[in-house]
Amino acid sequence: MASEKTLALLRRRLCDPSFVYSAFKSSPNGNYSKLKFLISNTITEACNNSVLLLGPRGCGKGAVVDLVLEDLKSELPEIISVARLNGLLHSDDNCAVKEIARQLCMENKLLFSKMASFDDNSQFMIDMLRECGLAHKMIIFVLEEFDLFTQGKQRLLYSLLDAMQTLTSHSVVIGISCRMDADQLLEKRVRSRFSHKKLLFTPLTTDDMQRLLEHLLYLPTDSSLPSDYLKEFNSNINNILSDNKFKEILDLLLAADNSISNIQRFLYQAISSMHFQTELLTLDDLKSAFSYHQRQPMLDKLQDASILELYILVCMNRLESREQDSYTFNSVMKEYKAIQDAYKTSDNYSKSVCQRAFEHLIERELISFANNRLRNLSVEYRPVRLLLSSQELYQSLKSNASCPAILQRLLNYETYR
Amino acid sequence: MYVTPERSMKKSSAKTPKSPICSPRTPGSVASRRSLRFSSSPQTPKSEKYKRNNEDSLENTGSSKKCRRSLLAPEKTPSKRPSVAPATPNPPESRKKRRHASLKAKKHDKKRCYYKKVVYDGVKFEVDDDVYVKRRECAESDEDDPEQEECRICFETGSSLMIECDDCLGGFHLRCLRPPLRKIPEGDWICEFCCAMKSGKKILLPTPPKGKKRQRTAREKLLSGDLWAARIERLWKEPNGTYWLKCCWYLIPEETTAGRQPHNLRRELYRTNHVSDIEMESVLRHCYVMKPREFGQANSEGDDVFYCEYEYDVHWHSFKRLVDVVDGENDEEAGIDEDWKYPNDPDCDTEDDSDFDDDTLGKFSSQDIPTHELAANSRRGRIFGLHKIGLKKIPEHIRLHKPTDLERAKSLLLLAALPKTLPCRTKEMEEITSFIKGAICKNHCLGRSLYIHGVPGTGKTMTVHTVLKNLRAEVDIGRMRAYNFVEVNGLKLASPENIYRVIYEALSGHRVGWKKALSILNERFSEGTKISKEENRPCILLVDELDLLLTRNQSVLYNIFDWPTKSDSKLIVIGIANTMDLPEKFLPRISSRMGIQRLCFGPYNHQQLKEIISSRLKGIDVFEEQAIEFASRKVAAMSGDARRALEICRRAAEAADYRLNQTSLSSKSSTEGKHLVGMDDVESAIHEVFQAPHIQIMKTSSRLSKIMLAAMVHELYRSGLGEVIFQKLATTICSICSSNREVPPGWDTLMKVGCKLGECRIILSEEGAKHRLQKLQLNFPSEDVTFALKDCSEIPWLSKYI
Repeated sequence: MASEKTLALLRRRLCDPSFVYSAFKSSPNGNYSKLKFLISNTITEACNNSVLLLGPRGCGKGAVVDLVLEDLKSELPEIISVARLNGLLHSDDNCAVKEIARQLCMENKLLFSKMASFDDNSQFMIDMLRECGLAHKMIIFVLEEFDLFTQGKQRLLYSLLDAMQTLTSHSVVIGISCRMDADQLLEKRVRSRFSHKKLLFTPLTTDDMQRLLEHLLYLPTDSSLPSDYLKEFNSNINNILSDNKFKEILDLLLAADNSISNIQRFLYQAISSMHFQTELLTLDDLKSAFSYHQRQPMLDKLQDASILELYILVCMNRLESREQDSYTFNSVMKEYKAIQDAYKTSDNYSKSVCQRAFEHLIERELISFANNRLRNLSVEYRPVRLLLSSQELYQSLKSNASCPAILQRLLNYETYR
Repeated sequence: MYVTPERSMKKSSAKTPKSPICSPRTPGSVASRRSLRFSSSPQTPKSEKYKRNNEDSLENTGSSKKCRRSLLAPEKTPSKRPSVAPATPNPPESRKKRRHASLKAKKHDKKRCYYKKVVYDGVKFEVDDDVYVKRRECAESDEDDPEQEECRICFETGSSLMIECDDCLGGFHLRCLRPPLRKIPEGDWICEFCCAMKSGKKILLPTPPKGKKRQRTAREKLLSGDLWAARIERLWKEPNGTYWLKCCWYLIPEETTAGRQPHNLRRELYRTNHVSDIEMESVLRHCYVMKPREFGQANSEGDDVFYCEYEYDVHWHSFKRLVDVVDGENDEEAGIDEDWKYPNDPDCDTEDDSDFDDDTLGKFSSQDIPTHELAANSRRGRIFGLHKIGLKKIPEHIRLHKPTDLERAKSLLLLAALPKTLPCRTKEMEEITSFIKGAICKNHCLGRSLYIHGVPGTGKTMTVHTVLKNLRAEVDIGRMRAYNFVEVNGLKLASPENIYRVIYEALSGHRVGWKKALSILNERFSEGTKISKEENRPCILLVDELDLLLTRNQSVLYNIFDWPTKSDSKLIVIGIANTMDLPEKFLPRISSRMGIQRLCFGPYNHQQLKEIISSRLKGIDVFEEQAIEFASRKVAAMSGDARRALEICRRAAEAADYRLNQTSLSSKSSTEGKHLVGMDDVESAIHEVFQAPHIQIMKTSSRLSKIMLAAMVHELYRSGLGEVIFQKLATTICSICSSNREVPPGWDTLMKVGCKLGECRIILSEEGAKHRLQKLQLNFPSEDVTFALKDCSEIPWLSKYI
């Protein structure tokens, strides 16, 4: 019972970005306090601002913005209205302006018309900015995937940033992007109007990571769970966090991807495999989650390839090691036949069966067409490439129990001509 | 100090430095707030609840009441002003409205006669005046409307000095006080009764002697809700001879749903959008409701001065600032604005417009919600439902906030805050002025065109606006012909052809399709047909971002530059763009029509930038001299963009402010003393603006990404090529790892790492589906990678490979 509750609590925490990032709310040099200071200052001074949040994915750019906006909304009700745009959805100027008009209408309970033209909508936006400025209201534009707004003539950015050059409007433009060169993408007249404030979101340092883990995993002492269970659970977590094996796992995990979202996913995996009987998180859970995390999709794909498919792959690899860069199904078939003739294996299949296997390999993206040009040609004449390296192939053949021994030897062209 | 026989107010010139400035912080009114009255309450914001009024404590109550009813002529006051004409308290802003009204006055209706001015009972009432209006239920007659306030203690109106309490606004003779005061004290003064009330004591107010009722002034009655105040919108005479007026009501804070808010001033009123017709009979006399700026300067209007900054929507119970509070700068736009803000319906004929558009106006303001609402974003220029926007309560932080020096500096450095004067561009200004004046001379107007170019942020548009503002002033005093001004921004048009529509709409107020607009404009400019009555004026067309109008066959540009060459066009075109050689990109027939008049705005050099910054910061001493110098030199070396320089300074001020905030939070005691914006702040601001953050990202990236970057640099150096294939890179990484006792990562992991780096654009990569054949390329110079990873404490062996 208690463990179910714990599980639910921990899962809820891990899925809630505002909880995860509240760990860093208090640090004075954190992006949260910087951004909050910036926006609240803009509100009190009744001016305009623009800022760009840069950082790799999964470092909490959007979450921090959400957190700040939520806090400010509760501190200063009624004053803030937010228009959110995403570059993936609204990179077209026309559609972006319409979306802004729609959201502003929604927020202020005005009637919105889908029929309005670009001019109407942009005029409405500017009027709205002015009216809101007169009413001491602040409009915050959040542009996610900011780099995608820079395609085309950048009309939207220009009109947003140009509207901010007047005293009547009170607005903040927050651009969120994972591209480091996002501000270089702006056209020069747009760039000149942009304030060039940048907040950089970096992955966590080791200390911060430790703090985050504690923040996420320790159960709150004031919850409804039985107190001895709480004690046990927390001391167990304490043991795990100080365990060297755990640290190793963590290091390996972070070596590939040190973003916060990666940690979140990993912990979620671990918690989901927690046993109800033991009621505690164990190191084994973490280990299994880690092994799950370290899946190698390419090798997994090879694991359940059929023998014939493996033959075809090996043939292609032999062709490549002969420095033959361009080959088609037919040349692969020739190699296959040569091998079959030389070694007389039991895996001699007809051409049509081989072609089926070949097409199957293309579907699974273990091999691909070398180019997109000769599209109307039939499959067997189009040049193909192998997408696997010989090391990967060798590794998977070795680990595949059903693989005939000859294949492994055949892989090396130099020894088996 | 105004010392009047019946009563003098203490002059509140005492300015203790910590006095909170009570007037709301509107950026536009910064300058006006230096007037004496506005900086006078030496109180902390907490005890300020009733303090706020001291600023409006009317210095000289009775001094010059210029408009009074005939019966009540008081003893002569030593007023310097002639007391004949009612001085309307708001001269500049109402110019156009008055013009409007005079138009109306001319028009003689069968039934009603509209007037601009009415002399009623010997008092002149004008449109746009503010008046007291009698409330019906309160049947106090004119007779007990005292012009002079009586002392609260002795109930006499005497000729000795009086002082006004800053809290209850009551007047006291100096001699009646206990202990009597010799002279008016500096700063705030609160009467003993208010003091006692505040400390919770009960006190008996002195009762008036028998037979004498305490008289209340109109101001008191208004503030206690026994009178109304209203603004005259229109005046007319009914056929039966009675005079009527349409008025727009004012409300006292207590009558709003939000009630009196702590930041409300004692004399504050709200203008409402509630309009009604009343008879002239019920008008009592003039009062003066002023905008904050005028209020700050007003000193001789007497007791009946009120303060009004907000409009109150009676239907939605929401507040909004009055428009002209903010824009002192938007004057030049007003010319066009008024044309299309309340445009006539396209389908109604223009003849009886004056009545019509007033009716539509009334529809918006006086009636309840329209029966079927139109979408707010549907028709340009006619916005439905925007009046709903407003705050239910005016937030306190806006009016109680007292800006520190840093904050004032920041607001002055805002790009939006246009300076009064434009330094460093006098030569260009003269050139533009002479160009326009040369074109609009005497009675004929030559069509001409001018091309202005320069890099962004060199003040092109602003200079033109300033010139036009100056010219408008000249038009006002009659030294120049009136002209129309149309501004179009190429980037704000949906398509280049839309420019016709926008121009036509600006000139006539009608909305038509662009083809129709083009034909009408063609008629007007080439053949001289007039669109509407006053279209004989010359027209200045400012096209910003001209290069955006470049279409394939360049017909838009051709038309625009063709019109000025026509003899009757009276069109002056000013085109602004960034590139110097734009005319060379045009077809020859366009560039020949464009003429050779060009004006170049060069980038600012560091002295000019410094002058621009320090002219804005005049009087505020927060920046170190060298800091400004540094910023301006740096920007001048990079781009010469004034916007950039201002932004850097603002950023530096912000950083200093943030630092200050943090230290005061942590140490709890705000360290007194100067907090200058120093070199460090400017340095970090410049760093933020000019430096791409990729080095920081490389430094903090994951272990494998670092190895990958190092291997990439290594591989690129070895091969001498610009790009590397993933397969090769992966083998290199594996060999590097194994030779340094690192577990070699799987290829799939490497793939993932590569994609992550590609996302941040630290490397450029082909799509991931190509897997082993993917080509990778560094997006930044390899020196940056070397610099970032050179002394990496985590993986010390990395430096071998880079």
